[in-house]
Amino acid sequence: MREEDAFQKQFDWQLTKRIFGYLRPYQWVAIGALVLAFLNSGTNRLYPFLQAQVIDQYLIPKAGSSFAGLSLDARWNGVVTIGIIIGLVALLEFVVRFAFNYTLSWMGQSVLFDIRADIFSKLQRLPLAYFDRNPVGRLITRVTSDVDAINSFITDGLMTLVQSTFVILATAVLMLTLNVKLALVAFAVVPILFVAMRFFQTQFRKSYREIRIKQAIVNTALNENITGMGTVQIFNREARQRRDFDKLNSAFLAEYLKSVKWYSYFFPTVGIIGNAALAVVIWVGGSDAVQNAVSIGVLYAFTRYVFDFFRPLEDLSNVLNTLQAAMASAERIFGILDEPEVVTDAPDAKKIVGGFKGEVQFKDVWFSYKPVGEEVLETDWVLRGINLHVQPGQSVALVGATGAGKTSIISLLSRFYDIQKGSILVDGTDVRQIAQRDLRKHVGVVLQDVYLFSGTIESNLRMNDETIPLEKIIQACKYVGVHEFISGLANGYKTEVKERGATLSTGQKQLLAFARALIANPDILLVLDEATANIDTESELQIQDALAKVMHGRTSIIIAHRLSTIKNCDRIIVMRKGKIVEEGSHDQLLRQGGYYATLYNLQYADQELVGA
Amino acid sequence: MLKGFRGLGFFFLRYRLQWILGMVCVFFSVGISLLGPPFFVRFVIDELYAGRATLETVAWNAFYILLTTLAANVIVFVQRQFNVVSSFRVAYDVRKAIFDQLTQLDQTYFHNNKTGDLMSRLTSDLNMVREMLGFGINAGSQTLLRLFMSLGLMLWLSPTLGLIVVAVFPLIAGLLALMIGVIAKRYVAVQEQASLISAKAQENFSGIRVVKGYAIEDREILEYKNMNAEYKKRSLRLAIVEAPQWAAVGIAMNTVFVIVLLVGSRELIFQGALSGNASASFAGLTPGKFVQFFTYLFELSWPMLAIGWMTNIFQRGSSSWTRLQEILDAKSAITDNRADPSIEVVHGAIEFKDVGFKADGRTLLSHVNLSIPKGTTVGITGRTGSGKTLLAQLIGRLIEPSSGVLLIDGQDARTIAVQTLRGAIGLVPQEPFLFSDKLSENIAFGLPNSTQIIEPNIPDLERVQKAARIAGLSKDVADFKEQFETILGERGITLSGGQRQRTAIARAIARDPAILILDDSMSAVDTETEARILSELRTVLEGRTVILIGHRVSTLRFADNIVVLENGRVLEQGSHENLIAQGGYYAEMERKQSLQSELETELPVAGHQPVGSLQS
Repeated sequence: MREEDAFQKQFDWQLTKRIFGYLRPYQWVAIGALVLAFLNSGTNRLYPFLQAQVIDQYLIPKAGSSFAGLSLDARWNGVVTIGIIIGLVALLEFVVRFAFNYTLSWMGQSVLFDIRADIFSKLQRLPLAYFDRNPVGRLITRVTSDVDAINSFITDGLMTLVQSTFVILATAVLMLTLNVKLALVAFAVVPILFVAMRFFQTQFRKSYREIRIKQAIVNTALNENITGMGTVQIFNREARQRRDFDKLNSAFLAEYLKSVKWYSYFFPTVGIIGNAALAVVIWVGGSDAVQNAVSIGVLYAFTRYVFDFFRPLEDLSNVLNTLQAAMASAERIFGILDEPEVVTDAPDAKKIVGGFKGEVQFKDVWFSYKPVGEEVLETDWVLRGINLHVQPGQSVALVGATGAGKTSIISLLSRFYDIQKGSILVDGTDVRQIAQRDLRKHVGVVLQDVYLFSGTIESNLRMNDETIPLEKIIQACKYVGVHEFISGLANGYKTEVKERGATLSTGQKQLLAFARALIANPDILLVLDEATANIDTESELQIQDALAKVMHGRTSIIIAHRLSTIKNCDRIIVMRKGKIVEEGSHDQLLRQGGYYATLYNLQYADQELVGA
Repeated sequence: MLKGFRGLGFFFLRYRLQWILGMVCVFFSVGISLLGPPFFVRFVIDELYAGRATLETVAWNAFYILLTTLAANVIVFVQRQFNVVSSFRVAYDVRKAIFDQLTQLDQTYFHNNKTGDLMSRLTSDLNMVREMLGFGINAGSQTLLRLFMSLGLMLWLSPTLGLIVVAVFPLIAGLLALMIGVIAKRYVAVQEQASLISAKAQENFSGIRVVKGYAIEDREILEYKNMNAEYKKRSLRLAIVEAPQWAAVGIAMNTVFVIVLLVGSRELIFQGALSGNASASFAGLTPGKFVQFFTYLFELSWPMLAIGWMTNIFQRGSSSWTRLQEILDAKSAITDNRADPSIEVVHGAIEFKDVGFKADGRTLLSHVNLSIPKGTTVGITGRTGSGKTLLAQLIGRLIEPSSGVLLIDGQDARTIAVQTLRGAIGLVPQEPFLFSDKLSENIAFGLPNSTQIIEPNIPDLERVQKAARIAGLSKDVADFKEQFETILGERGITLSGGQRQRTAIARAIARDPAILILDDSMSAVDTETEARILSELRTVLEGRTVILIGHRVSTLRFADNIVVLENGRVLEQGSHENLIAQGGYYAEMERKQSLQSELETELPVAGHQPVGSLQS
């Protein structure tokens, strides 16, 4: 149970208007649905009326008259005629009802589709910082249950409102046509019923909320105890925890029993009100019938119509709850749609055609993960005045302890975040002046724990770019040495990836990551080179070989954890706490005996064996 | 299907009297509401028709309608007190029984059954069962009774018309069953697509860095839209069979209605004519009976739709119960079967004799031989996953050795009652689990008067304060607004990592245990504080056995004996000096840590990275 479930929101006209906005493309369908709803409520209520005609005209003679001289056969024929009319009405009702329900589904589904597409597209444009702040589970809720709530706002809420009103009106009109006095007597039940239903609905809602709260408490306790059962047991607390849980469980039961109480009152109350109305109709109508002021057929029709107010009234008294329930969801959804995109393309953003030469420059870059514009505390800075110049085709290894700011450098070059001070230039142009898509198309990031999407190995390598020929993919895989492995799989390149590639080994995944990068063919390559435990020497050598091949001929910035990688780079940049502290080749830096030398002893010296 | 309810009977039958009374109520409420008002309406109409009706008869009959309604609804009210209330009581009983059961299951069970899974059984499965017992039994019995009583009454009122209905009814029910079958199938197709869409969204959001990194947002949007288009298509395929469901029942009922109307009217017209006297003719059908017949005919449309629904509720209820019964059937591997009740005190000598431990077919510990004399401190170190924590869990008998034997005070640990053994242990787990309760309650968690069931349970504040002081927590507590009364958030989330660990230490030492196990319990505490806490501990733990699991040489070095584990085996063992001299794993660890501290002392650390940086 999430905190937002218990969150209640009042009816909000602004939000409702925005939801209506989603109906606009389908306004004609909506109008059609209204017409169908109107027809449906009309046809549905005709039967007692027609039946009354049968009774009064052909079955039971009015006092004194004997069917105005109709013969038996004429009476029978009259019944058959009305029977046929009823049949036709039934047919019409079937068609209308079907059409109405289907139209409603169609409309709901269309709106659902549009809202989902909007949210998803919007999310694709939001900056990474947004995803840092919002856990995936929360975002999923937005595109699933929140959207569903809007769907039911339209199909259950609005349409029920319209249809129930129509039904009540249709019933009222038919009753008035039959007999005004009896109709007015029967109408007396409407306000009573409505008030009773509103009263109970309010109680139900209150009690439902209490139940949810108690349920949440019980669930929290359950979750806590299940997770901490080891602690409970080692401290001999079982009996005490059982007792404590029993208290919550009992409170939960008590709350449920309260709700049973309201329901126990509700059904009998409604039943009694309805049948009391029947009794009154029989009493008043029957008395009039004794005096021949009301016919038996009409009296019969009223015994049916009295109950016809129930469903629509119940639905109406409930509809407000449905509408309100959607408000909170609508607010959250529009919250996403209104979220500023922050990292946006400048209006005059440069389009990149053909790619970059690959010159990278950091000029006094200061960066914090705080949103741009917010005050940054001294301790919040992740990068503190970075100056770095990488020539086209040059390779650079970034080394340093965790938290030194290496990953930030890579994120910034792809412009996943915007910086607070300074500038980052690619081929002399500030990254903020380059269209994001173009920038990222030519700046490739390789995370070695390759993120695999569901689909085939091939679709994961081509990253859905259908223009890449299969030969090029195979060529790349051969180049990094993963082709043999892929060909050995049951369906080769068409093998389905299961559970994010859980069946692949770490080494295989790393090779796939390189192949993927190679196929995308970026001009600037950014690599997160993780030192991986539990990898055999052969795979290790394979990976080193592949990395060297991928780096070849392009500007590469590598967060290096492998000694071999570091040694392979043209230059080593040593970072500490957001600053560049040393720079040079491996041998130079070792000779300097500074920070790098210590780091080397701590992290890389063991690797000499493999990396040689 | 009955097999699916094995074990439920025990809970169900506790309320057998209520269920029986409930059924009696259902019988009477349905019976009265079907026989009462419709009968009086019929009577009025027939009297009116015969010209015998007076204002008085009409008034009396209206009054009878009111009376019977009142009676039926009072019974409906009572019936809920029996049926529905009992279903909630059963749910309560089951929840209680399962909770009790869970407190008795061992850690292996919790390892194999994830919290999320257990939670969903205790919430949604239990809810399904509740719904089956409450709504299912209550509404189900009403529906069935209404259906059969109505059919019976129709046959009684007019055998001819009744037989028409009885003949047509199975046809409609069959048609409906067919439709429900198709609907169910298409519904599954919709659900499958819905979960694919969720999975797609999940994948996209989790992999947003890759998506953005490769600039494939547009392709992702397109794919997502295509999946949603398919969802829409499937939903509409469902709608096209679901939409006419009610409409189909409607037209079927209306067909029957027209047939009955025609046949009945014919009988009325021609029979009434034959006798020549309208009022005396109706040995068979009368206008009143005819009208009453229709009342019952309209009663049928709801049960026809409801039967499919009810079947579904019972099917789901049965499979949900099976999942609950599984928990109740589980057996704990740790029992007191071999316990010797005469052992009441544990002194604290521990010995592992060729102990091995397997889980999920993997060997996690093998041939561990380790002797920890009473009152000594043993340090245990090794890589993550080398089995250090398992040793701690074995001592507390949270798990049992798969081979070999664990001796406590020279005897097989299994001869000591679990509660006695654990009562002598203070365990500080790697990731301390605190409860959302007061700080004082958390520290007093294992104190005798806190574990007992007495009211009111007031924690022994003196011991709590003393333990907090030793654990280096006093200063923090003094800063809290509510001091020891501070309520901790779920899992102690309101505390810092170091505070949580120190609270857990206080909780363990408050028990004054013969055996104290510190399982890497100061990782979030800085080295200096750790040293201070340990020296405090040494003064109070005189003569206690201490198991110190950790990575810091600075703390391990004071142990009487240091053990290095690797892949579940003892790799090195000896005193600090011995191990350094050996030049193995421990010596390497020591070398790296001194280098590390050299690195750290150079510059003060500042700056941090957010949770979701590129590396995550």
